[in-house]
Amino acid sequence: MKKKIRLIVNGEEKVLTIDVQQTLLEVLREDLGLTGTKKGCNQGECGACTVLLEGKPVSSCSLLAVKADGKAVTTIEGLAKGGQLHPIQQAFNEKGAIQCGFCSPGMILVTKSLLEQNPNPTTAEIKEAIAGNICRCTGYVQIIEAIRSLVP
Amino acid sequence: MYLPDFEYYAPATLSEACELLEKLGPGAKVIAGGTDILSKMKQELLFPKAIVSLKYLSGLSEIRLESNNDVIIGAKATHNSLIDSPVLQEKYPSLCNAAHQMANNQVRNIGTVGGNIVNAVPSADLPPLLIALGAKIKLVGTNGERVLPLEDFFTGPNESIIKQDEILTEFIISEQSLTGSTYIKFALRRSGALAVASVAVAVAMEGNTCRKARIVLGAVAPIPLRAKKAEEMLTGKEITDELLEEAGSVASAESKPISDIRGSAEYRRDLVRVLTRRALRKAINEGHV
Amino acid sequence: MGENYEVIGKSVPRIDGVAKATGRAKYTGDLKFPNMLVGKILHSPHAHARILNIDTSEAEKLPGVKAVITHRDVPSTKYGLSPARWDETIFCIDKVRFVGDKVAAVAAVDEETAYKALKLIKVDYEVLPAVFDPYEALKEGAPQIFEEYPGNINTEIHQHFGDVDKAFAEAYHVRRDFFSGQRTYHSPLEPHVSIAFWEGPKVTVYSSNQSVHYLQYHLARVFGMPMGNVRVLKTHVGGGFGGKLDPTGLDFAAVKLSQITGRPVKMLYDRKEMFYNNRGRHAQYMELTTGVTKEGKILGVHANFVMDGGAYTGLGVASAYYAGALLTVLYDFDNYKFDMIRAVTNLPGCGAQRGHGQPQPRFAFESHLDHIAEDLGIDPLEIRIINARKPKTVTINDFKVDSYALKEALEKAREISGWREKKGKLPPGRGIGVGNGGFVSGAGYPCYRTDLPQAVAIIKVHDDGSMATLYTGAVEIGQGSDTVLLQMAAEAMGYPLEKMRIVAGDTDLATHDFGAYASRQTLMSGWAVKKAGEEVKNKILQTAAEMMLVVPEQLDVKQGVVFLKAHPEESLTFEEVARTYFVKYGQLIGQGSYKPPKLGGTFKGAAVGTSPAYSAATQVAEVEIDEETGEIKVIEAWDVHDCGMVINPALLHGQVHGAFYMGMGESIWEEVLFDEKGDVANGNLAEYRMPTALDMPPVTSELVDSIDPNAPWGVKEVGEGATTPTMACLANAIYDAMGVRIESLPLTYEKVWRALKEKREKEKA
Repeated sequence: MKKKIRLIVNGEEKVLTIDVQQTLLEVLREDLGLTGTKKGCNQGECGACTVLLEGKPVSSCSLLAVKADGKAVTTIEGLAKGGQLHPIQQAFNEKGAIQCGFCSPGMILVTKSLLEQNPNPTTAEIKEAIAGNICRCTGYVQIIEAIRSLVP
Repeated sequence: MYLPDFEYYAPATLSEACELLEKLGPGAKVIAGGTDILSKMKQELLFPKAIVSLKYLSGLSEIRLESNNDVIIGAKATHNSLIDSPVLQEKYPSLCNAAHQMANNQVRNIGTVGGNIVNAVPSADLPPLLIALGAKIKLVGTNGERVLPLEDFFTGPNESIIKQDEILTEFIISEQSLTGSTYIKFALRRSGALAVASVAVAVAMEGNTCRKARIVLGAVAPIPLRAKKAEEMLTGKEITDELLEEAGSVASAESKPISDIRGSAEYRRDLVRVLTRRALRKAINEGHV
Repeated sequence: MGENYEVIGKSVPRIDGVAKATGRAKYTGDLKFPNMLVGKILHSPHAHARILNIDTSEAEKLPGVKAVITHRDVPSTKYGLSPARWDETIFCIDKVRFVGDKVAAVAAVDEETAYKALKLIKVDYEVLPAVFDPYEALKEGAPQIFEEYPGNINTEIHQHFGDVDKAFAEAYHVRRDFFSGQRTYHSPLEPHVSIAFWEGPKVTVYSSNQSVHYLQYHLARVFGMPMGNVRVLKTHVGGGFGGKLDPTGLDFAAVKLSQITGRPVKMLYDRKEMFYNNRGRHAQYMELTTGVTKEGKILGVHANFVMDGGAYTGLGVASAYYAGALLTVLYDFDNYKFDMIRAVTNLPGCGAQRGHGQPQPRFAFESHLDHIAEDLGIDPLEIRIINARKPKTVTINDFKVDSYALKEALEKAREISGWREKKGKLPPGRGIGVGNGGFVSGAGYPCYRTDLPQAVAIIKVHDDGSMATLYTGAVEIGQGSDTVLLQMAAEAMGYPLEKMRIVAGDTDLATHDFGAYASRQTLMSGWAVKKAGEEVKNKILQTAAEMMLVVPEQLDVKQGVVFLKAHPEESLTFEEVARTYFVKYGQLIGQGSYKPPKLGGTFKGAAVGTSPAYSAATQVAEVEIDEETGEIKVIEAWDVHDCGMVINPALLHGQVHGAFYMGMGESIWEEVLFDEKGDVANGNLAEYRMPTALDMPPVTSELVDSIDPNAPWGVKEVGEGATTPTMACLANAIYDAMGVRIESLPLTYEKVWRALKEKREKEKA
């Protein structure tokens, strides 16, 4: 079954006709070509597919796209502006927080949401915020350092 | 792993939704957040012919305090909205803490409290505490609504008394005499892990005397289980460490765990003993935590 | 470290960091080609069954299905690591040997159609008795899984160096312990993906893998094609850890399906299928007997192991040899016996996972050593110092170890962890433990029998000298090899890093290299890169000497400036010299090739464990145990590594953190479980529990000075060695905290709970 939906993706309105069984992840990757959002487990267990829905991190693999109809979605492609890296992206790059990079888009987006809600998080709060994002490479050490470097 | 095609409905009103469910019959499933149902569908454990989304039903996400001091939680409230709710933070922070122990942040922003109940998963985190707090639920169907204790809702793993045309709309917590409550989950990882065993308690204390205690065990029986014998032995008693230890042992004997990949029945029974004692002590000493 | 370097030894950001941070980095699964089909593999539902008939006619009729293939459509050539154990075919022919074995594949217009088609393939099976436990498999009368492995014995190793019996007879104390390790899985965050398409007689395969060469070799061999007609390349790879080295069914099936359909075919595993493909760590059963002097000096060791190989061999034969081979490296002893049986069972095949074969034996040995220390009344850290290997020594099994700073690592770990203040002095429920480990810096011999060099690199300076490109077959899988190799190239050339580009991991466009396994690239690919860079540098100096009317020996080049050593103000830019070279002689190219000298002894299996250089590591960890529930909290950890010269400290410490993380996961939480039918019971990331940020303690990663003479600039490995001490380190910390020894991995909360319960009951009695 097809359905027409409207999404505001990285500030741009997108009107799409999709299959109702498509997850938000699939619509972003397949229909909009936004492959920065990754399919890691497809079960809401790894966080690689995290996007911000109305500013809040969600597992886009566990959300039907029709349910996001009318809502604002931020993906990793929406962060860097005019060729300038977002400060979080810059910190991740400079602090060694990236290895294979498959978790990085999700990690960066949960960090964005965290810092918007709580610009001065403790290490414990940082760990809590990224606990839904599995990173198989870094042991989170340099990710946490990168996020801490953004805390004044 | 893929999602098969289905018919999708997003009715504008509750009555429309109930009528649709009745009309479509058992092949139709309600979806609120959808995290659990999508996961089951991808694993080919569930093949709904139609999905009825509650997306456009208004007023079901609210968490509010009524003038009679009842706390109302809309079934569409997400786990994170429970955590962030000023009403709950004031009245039952224990519920905020229980919601916090669910899955992970990204799922808590989608998954709803109603879904956590209706899916009737034995290891679910919210049912034990909601039952301990004496929560009632409102089910709305084509023939009107009924309100019943949450405790009477579950009949087995993935099974409940909900009828095909019914939608769970809200939770009502009207218990006013309770002085403390808490939920302790024992899981094999600090985030994103299902409970191996969990215990929720709610107590009404008068000085050091226990006037009322409810103890609800999670993940150690086909449904959230009241440890009634343990509750009885506390009622009217002066609380001592020995008594709490004994209550733990009695609750442990009441549990009916199975062995699975997360733990043996023997281990779970002993966890119930320890967690019951710890939860009681916490609720008695610290209130709704 | 003495010398002043311009580019190496610095924590420059990874060259792919910005692409990965912005989501621009394309992984194989992100690629789309016009007209591309989606393929899926049909997996066996039975652990052991004879295939009587496969009927694909219904599947073929389904609209949208473009091809259905079974063993009838593909070569029956067997493949694996070594010819004696080539035992796997693209699809099962006569039998399936585990739940998840490869039976057929389809290509269709979309994923949903492909899945539906799989359901329409009718396979008649005659179900056979299955065996899931290696000891059961080795019993007389057990179901026979392969004709070629009578008694289900896949690999049998008996090595004896010196005289262990004599050593035990002379020892003050002989102790025997038994340990076991579990099956674990790499679980890279990126699932395996393969995309294939044909142009005439040539196939191109994009694969998320660790060695483009090894996959090219397999595809060419199995399909009977010249290697030149098989192009394998990769884009960004989302982690490997050993699990993307063996070719997968996706690679073979995509090649065939795209040939039949004439269209690009993309195939990927979902999470559970990754567990079927497996190639993860073997479950090992390890009996260790050690004789020591009164002072704690090890005289002799007997390692008597059994491992569960699962259904196919793949790299598993090497795992079996590694398990025993590397036990001789850390501590110096003269008598050693290693017995191993690798049994086949009806479970997914096991292979190489970070530390290949040896983290579990290290768990066993380091736990065993703590017991011995306790028996003798010696501090566990001290007994390790007593026995630590010295540099410039040769192991009893003929490994030449040049640089080796294990003793220094132990001493430094003792300092930074506060060992002396903590050991035996922590409050109840808290404990501290130590474990040692290390690894090869590249295997001394290639992964399959061949006389090819280990690595070749080419550096091409662009015509105008404004850029240079490094061509290498080394494979970046997240560990940072592209960045490290570019730093090395720039250093060797005397060129700025910012002007370097890389083409890597492409069998057509880049050079030969065996890829990312056995921690080989920094040393081996690095050698080739260094030589290539030096050739460029020599040509630059030669040309500049001609231009400046001096001799090359009077010149040097650094950061793109060629200068007279005696008068640095007299200089030319690299660019102008390079341009002059181009005009006079043609393209400015440097080439380097690396092949280690002949390493190791002559006994059977002598090649496994050889390496130009060995790393060493000490880890100390502190834990807190809930005495009622058995819950384990890892409070803090320290790693001190002897990894030679460090090219990029930030990347290096990231490897240590990640290796400790994986080791910790395997220590406490991770285990692949099976149901009674032999199907994976936890093939998802909720029940295969990798630690989250909340489970990870602070880790301090420190180094000891060490330069290996056999390596470019003295580098050694780090990424795998740091996984090997962790399991015992944590087991020893638990023992220190609670006085209970958990002898089987993982050290689950329930096992700790049970051990504590038994201990209490014993104390009562």
